[in-house]
Amino acid sequence: MIGVGKAKQYANVLDKPLSRGRQEVSLSAFAFLFSELVQYNQTQVDNIAELERRLEDAGYAVGARVLELLCHREKGNRRETRLLGILSFIHSTVWKVLFGKVADSLEKGTEHEDEYMISEKELLVNRFISVPKDMGAFNCGAFVAGIVRGVLDSAGFPAVVTAHFVPIEGQQRPRTTILIKFAEEVLRREARLG
Amino acid sequence: MIVCVAVVGNQVRSDRPRPLRGGAQNNPVYLQSFTEADDALKLHHIVHCSLDVIDERVNNPKRSGPTLNETFLGLLYPTENYKVYGYLTNTKVKFIMVTTDLDVKDADVRNLKVILQNHYKYVSVLVQIPTYIMFFRRFHAAYVDAVSNPFHVPGKKITSKSFAERVSVIVKSFGSTAT
Repeated sequence: MIGVGKAKQYANVLDKPLSRGRQEVSLSAFAFLFSELVQYNQTQVDNIAELERRLEDAGYAVGARVLELLCHREKGNRRETRLLGILSFIHSTVWKVLFGKVADSLEKGTEHEDEYMISEKELLVNRFISVPKDMGAFNCGAFVAGIVRGVLDSAGFPAVVTAHFVPIEGQQRPRTTILIKFAEEVLRREARLG
Repeated sequence: MIVCVAVVGNQVRSDRPRPLRGGAQNNPVYLQSFTEADDALKLHHIVHCSLDVIDERVNNPKRSGPTLNETFLGLLYPTENYKVYGYLTNTKVKFIMVTTDLDVKDADVRNLKVILQNHYKYVSVLVQIPTYIMFFRRFHAAYVDAVSNPFHVPGKKITSKSFAERVSVIVKSFGSTAT
């Protein structure tokens, strides 16, 4: 993914600066790796829901680590306790580090109190993937949904996160929306914190 | 001199029932003592008891507002020989450090000190970060690197040798420079 860096340690720990510069990975290398990941999982499962679940689990592991890394490196070690705080953190900081730009928009769902949506015109992971017709509504953005779920879960906001295609009139390719549905205890805690 | 460091996670343990409050369980992820003495068990007990203090601080903050999010929890628990310091990361993973330095004042540990040094033509400003915060920052960097390992299962013990080496280097360098 563009902009993913891992702090490698070359010198004595005393000489190492506290935050390293970002290392960028080439997009084609990532696209190749991601396509292999999807293909490998395809051979292991029988149905689409299982495939989506596996991609999401892979993303969950990434999300948990990204949160630790980013909080130590970028945010000056402030812990997010508010819902809007963690959502805007994901929407700007996490997206910027992983994909090189902030997400297109962050919206609150109108029907339910506990739903929020991050939408993106074209997810980076989906750029080189075309889904065959017989796979229906499968979205490789399940990987990104897993990353978001990993970040939220490790920060203490359990949620169910899914990725959906939303068709827009006037455009050929549908927009991708990551739907975040928070658990009951998060809303209760948020109400209690005022 | 630092005698023991520990990393305590936030995972739910399967052998313990979930508490009614729904708080995080405390499972040890890494525990290392740096003395030759045989009281390693006592140090482990001290670490265990200080977890309660952390929980109390996290769930019932004394002040609300920006200090709600502070990572460095400061002096948790002074016993007769040791002092215990705590640090909370963003994912509720706790670092605990037991030290025998009895002469480091708490005010020194908490606040940044700004020292103005008057040179001939200019005045230099030296900001002194309290030593324990530096220790915890380096420790946090080592922890982030250990957790970034894709083969590390979150919640299980950290088995990386390089993490253990880095921690012992940090502790040793800290022991020699501390007042």
